[in-house]
Amino acid sequence: MSTPKANSTYDAQLVTNAGDVIPNGWRLLADDETHGVDGPVVLGFDRALRELDGLNGHYGVRINPGDDVRLLEPFLDKLTVIEVAFPGFRDGRGYSTARILREDLGYTRVLRAVGDVLRDQLFYMLRCGFDEFLVKDKDPAEAVTSAAKRFSTTYQGAADSARPAWALRHAGV
Amino acid sequence: MPATTQAPTPTMYKYDAFDHAFVRDRNKEFAGQVARRLAGEITEDQFKPLRLMNGLYLQLHAYMLRIAVPYGVLSSKQMRKFAHIARTYDRDFGHFTTRQNLQFNWIKLADAPKILEELAEVEMHALQTSGNCIRNTTTDQFAGAARDEVADPRPWAEVIRQWSSNHPEFTFLPRKFKIAITGATKDRAAIRVHDIGLHLKPSGFDVYVGGGMGRTPHVAPVIKRDLNPEQLLSYLEACLRVYNRYGRRDNIYKARIKILVSALGAEEYGRQVEEEWSRLDKAKVDAPAAEVNRIKSFFPDPAFVDGFDSAAFERARTADAGFARWVKNNTNPHKRDNHVSVTISLKPTGLPPGDASSAQMDVMADVADAYGYGELRVSHEQNIILPHVAKNDLYTLYEKLDAAGLGTANAGKITDMIACPGLDYCSLANARSIPLAQDISQRFEDAKLTDQIGDLQIKISGCINACGHHHVGHIGILGVDKQGIEFYQILLGGRADEKAALGQITGKGLSAEAVPAAIERVVRLYLDLRTSETERFIDTLERVGRDAFAEALHEHA
Ligand code: SF4
Repeated sequence: MSTPKANSTYDAQLVTNAGDVIPNGWRLLADDETHGVDGPVVLGFDRALRELDGLNGHYGVRINPGDDVRLLEPFLDKLTVIEVAFPGFRDGRGYSTARILREDLGYTRVLRAVGDVLRDQLFYMLRCGFDEFLVKDKDPAEAVTSAAKRFSTTYQGAADSARPAWALRHAGV
Repeated sequence: MPATTQAPTPTMYKYDAFDHAFVRDRNKEFAGQVARRLAGEITEDQFKPLRLMNGLYLQLHAYMLRIAVPYGVLSSKQMRKFAHIARTYDRDFGHFTTRQNLQFNWIKLADAPKILEELAEVEMHALQTSGNCIRNTTTDQFAGAARDEVADPRPWAEVIRQWSSNHPEFTFLPRKFKIAITGATKDRAAIRVHDIGLHLKPSGFDVYVGGGMGRTPHVAPVIKRDLNPEQLLSYLEACLRVYNRYGRRDNIYKARIKILVSALGAEEYGRQVEEEWSRLDKAKVDAPAAEVNRIKSFFPDPAFVDGFDSAAFERARTADAGFARWVKNNTNPHKRDNHVSVTISLKPTGLPPGDASSAQMDVMADVADAYGYGELRVSHEQNIILPHVAKNDLYTLYEKLDAAGLGTANAGKITDMIACPGLDYCSLANARSIPLAQDISQRFEDAKLTDQIGDLQIKISGCINACGHHHVGHIGILGVDKQGIEFYQILLGGRADEKAALGQITGKGLSAEAVPAAIERVVRLYLDLRTSETERFIDTLERVGRDAFAEALHEHA
């Protein structure tokens, strides 16, 4: 029996919630790198907090698990892309980050999951409001479309449009 | 109630199309994963998180499947299905756990999907019985029946079950998460040693957060009083969100919510929860009243029979001392005068606590149909409960149970021990728990002595992870490993009821051989010191202090 290749060994590709593989136009800026003029950049979290006030234009920001997403509130209108990092499969802080952005802070533009993103997490990520995924998989597009169909019943209201069982049960009343 | 050919329908939650679809989708997915594993398409490393999400553990000798029994409530039909699974796929027995669940310890991987399919037929599954998610909510085993009940916790346990099923935000928490609810004045659900404990009162829920056992045991502080039940889910969501964001993830032993709450302080944690709660869209999270009412409608009283022939009952008690003793020890006051709740002890002398054979499961299902309105419960003391039994049926019931080896009259007594699986099954164990429990129960085999001692809880864990709840045993026993030799530390004075407290370690560890005699010395001292028969062991201990008892324990050690 040949050893199967772990999904995590595939190169990450960017996929939308509709299952389209798209090119990634955004680049994470190293903290000592200057902005320059060559295209859209993603700023580290602390740097974004320091600099966004004085910047005009559209930027991306990278949120790591320990970062408090609510600190970004004053700058949300300058952000076109928010990347939420999942450094490991087991670290679930990014799910709360996403729901706070979507449901509390009202952020509506691109919300992207990056890092150790595997097919088994995609269902939860979709429900928490992510719409792009830098996913490692043999067939990343299929991974996203099948995740969306994984469960026909959901039991909670979250950041997606799925209606929980209790809403559907009483829809006729 | 006479035995009828038509099995009664128990008053419990029933799946609708949404619930069925949920379990079906999940089983289909898991069957696919098992097939991929058996075909070698995925490695054991890749398979591990997937099987754990479905309650399948790899233990010392075989796979173990842990089946969720939601808040411990079972129908006779479900119990029969357990018997069938034990007979067909295991070694003819199953093990009821302190989480009000059932474990099968000898499962073949290839059989797992078929077993899950069979479970789905009776509205059961093995989801969220492992992993860092919200686990099975536990509650009072006498819910809906107990005389001291103020409000029925079961509908709320069901509301929580649904809300916590596959929760998109809380499936990758820092650590596993356990919620317990009680609605009675006596806390039989041990709510203050759970991650969240809910006490349902007429004025609402009192919410306790950050209790737990394990390496650093804590008794949970209250962080909110009189929470409006209609806002339970949004409040829980706020509690969990603060934990998910700020609970420690760098050290598995510091990752439970108790560590976060004690680091922040109850007040600060409570403040952060309030803040989060105030920002939540509550209408989106909280189940609407129509849904709560729908769920409540599944839990009416059964069609209780009337009448009680007290003369016949007294005659049976006088004629059969065994029956009299069983009635005294194994029945709990019921809200109807002519009914009781019955505890079927799974702790006969010399057998592993919590085990039941398939034949015994069938007997329990049959007597539930004939005398118990078709309903059973699993208690966290690893016994089986018939919540509603008419007193007129008690003697017949007792005779049937006794004939099946299920008539042990020791509920709540010294031989009604909790013991974790220990070295016999568990790969983390330092020491054996089940054989020690057997040795102790042999020591106190004498029924007269057991009754004389009265209520006394012994709880045994095979290692510091405390699955046997040793911190809250009146006498707690912890297995430790000293240079390859099994030793046991003895704790005194723990309790998990409404006066929850943690037991304190006394002196050096004892060898397995020395433990039963040491416990007997403690018990003899208690019998000497107590002021009356109604002063329980834990009361005497509280009155005179631990020192004298600790001395008796270690007399010859
Ligand atoms: S307490 Fe330790 S030995 Fe016992 S079941 Fe838990 S982990 Fe295993």
